[in-house]
Amino acid sequence: MEGIVLALFICLVLALVTKYLSVPAIPFYILAGVILGQAGLGLVASNEISHFLSEMGLIFLLFFMGLGLKIERVLENRSAVLTSGIVDLNVNMIIGFAASYLLGFSLVESFVVASAFYISSTAMTLTSLIENRKLMIKEAETIIWLMVFEDLVMIIILALISAGNQNLIVFAVKILFVLGILYALAHYGKEFLISILDRDDELPILFTFAAVLTTASFSMYLGVPETMMVIALGVAFATTDPDAFEQHARPFKDVFLVVFFVFFGVTINLSGGADWFVIAVICTLAVVSKLVSGILTGIYIHGSALSGIEIWGNTIGRGEFSIALAVLYGSPVVGATIAAMVIVTSIVGAFMAKYSTSLRRGIVGLGRRSAPPRRIHTKH
Amino acid sequence: MFPMALRSLNLPGVGTKYEFVTDKGDTVAIFFTKTGSIQMYTLQQGCNTPSAAEMTPVEARRLGNILTGAIIEADSDSVEVAFSALADLRITLHTYLIPAAIAGKTIEDLQIRAKTGTTVIAVSRHNMNIINPSPSFVFETGDAALVIGETDQLKSFEREIMVN
Repeated sequence: MEGIVLALFICLVLALVTKYLSVPAIPFYILAGVILGQAGLGLVASNEISHFLSEMGLIFLLFFMGLGLKIERVLENRSAVLTSGIVDLNVNMIIGFAASYLLGFSLVESFVVASAFYISSTAMTLTSLIENRKLMIKEAETIIWLMVFEDLVMIIILALISAGNQNLIVFAVKILFVLGILYALAHYGKEFLISILDRDDELPILFTFAAVLTTASFSMYLGVPETMMVIALGVAFATTDPDAFEQHARPFKDVFLVVFFVFFGVTINLSGGADWFVIAVICTLAVVSKLVSGILTGIYIHGSALSGIEIWGNTIGRGEFSIALAVLYGSPVVGATIAAMVIVTSIVGAFMAKYSTSLRRGIVGLGRRSAPPRRIHTKH
Repeated sequence: MFPMALRSLNLPGVGTKYEFVTDKGDTVAIFFTKTGSIQMYTLQQGCNTPSAAEMTPVEARRLGNILTGAIIEADSDSVEVAFSALADLRITLHTYLIPAAIAGKTIEDLQIRAKTGTTVIAVSRHNMNIINPSPSFVFETGDAALVIGETDQLKSFEREIMVN
């Protein structure tokens, strides 16, 4: 118990400092975990309580993601979402998978690394767009929809990996069964849900907490991935009053997610065969491959490679979803690799997001200087 | 021609965006972000980089009041508000420090509404606010009274009551 308290206290200090400097907190939570945990000083060890709290962090993260996914809105913007999304998916998945496989990971491990390699941090990207005051630039909408597409792919990845060694028909029937219950709840229980959410007492928050936990444990009992089902619960609840659910789920998400990040760091084991060369290659490629996909997207959507640099700058950071994949499906080596990738890309990403505009201007400036001098245009 | 097409857009995870292009070709965009802050961007025609200002909801409301012309005159102790929907009704709120001459009297004694047409809508006493004081409310020296009425009515309040 003291371990959790110590870790939480350090995270509180880190949260204050990172907010003050306006840099993402996630890499520092993980680093703090690594330093406190078995790879570092050994002050904090994970136990049953920390494990439970971490799991809640993950479940609430995914529930939150589900609440934000408004499927009908995605369908309305299909063309905008699809082009950039497919470029991003293909480039990063292929580079990530090929690199991991060539570096000696097994097929399944390579798929997990590639997925973590592909999926940018929605939280970091959106925060950076707001904090760096980039909402008006024309690439902002492309970037925002790209995050939505990545979230959708995340659901598919979760389904693919967890379906791996099961009887597919039974698996599909079970999933459809749970989805049916969730749909029926949201559809026929809509009035009831809204009446609960409207109350001022402890009921709305208690209901939100219980609904998420019940869905998770019921899914585990049936043997369907609880991760997918809490996302589905979020999507179903989003049809009633998503803002109220966000408000009631946010405190749980915010606290438990910090525990999740720091204890992910605590359980990192560097002696388990993590290879610094492999880590260095993956980290470098993680930055480069988003540059490739960013430039391609920039050219396809905005007709400009420079737009691609803006897209790149804001989507380098990998974060919460990469770690989720590492925790759910990663071996210790995969975990250490993904941890390093998240730390490196999120720090590089924070830096690039801040300076991408200057970088763009620098590139334009260089181009101008080498071009023949133009006549100065004067207005009358 | 439709002068300004206001485009509103819900951006997942970020908030709501409102954007329009002015007649002169400048672009103004407002974002109500999920974090609660409001960002305003302006982009001059022919310019590439917008300039941005981030506001709290209170600051944004203040800006809105200025832009809609709700506050015409604002000096330290009086505010004139215009309601364009009510046939350009202009109403003024003024604060007065209660002099010793009328201390100890009630609103009823002074016949404020009958004599001047104004209404005392709040009194500030020792940093406490009394909203809508009753007719039996007794003034004390040092009270600050907030009085509402048209400009002429307030002038008569100054003449009839304050010098009493």
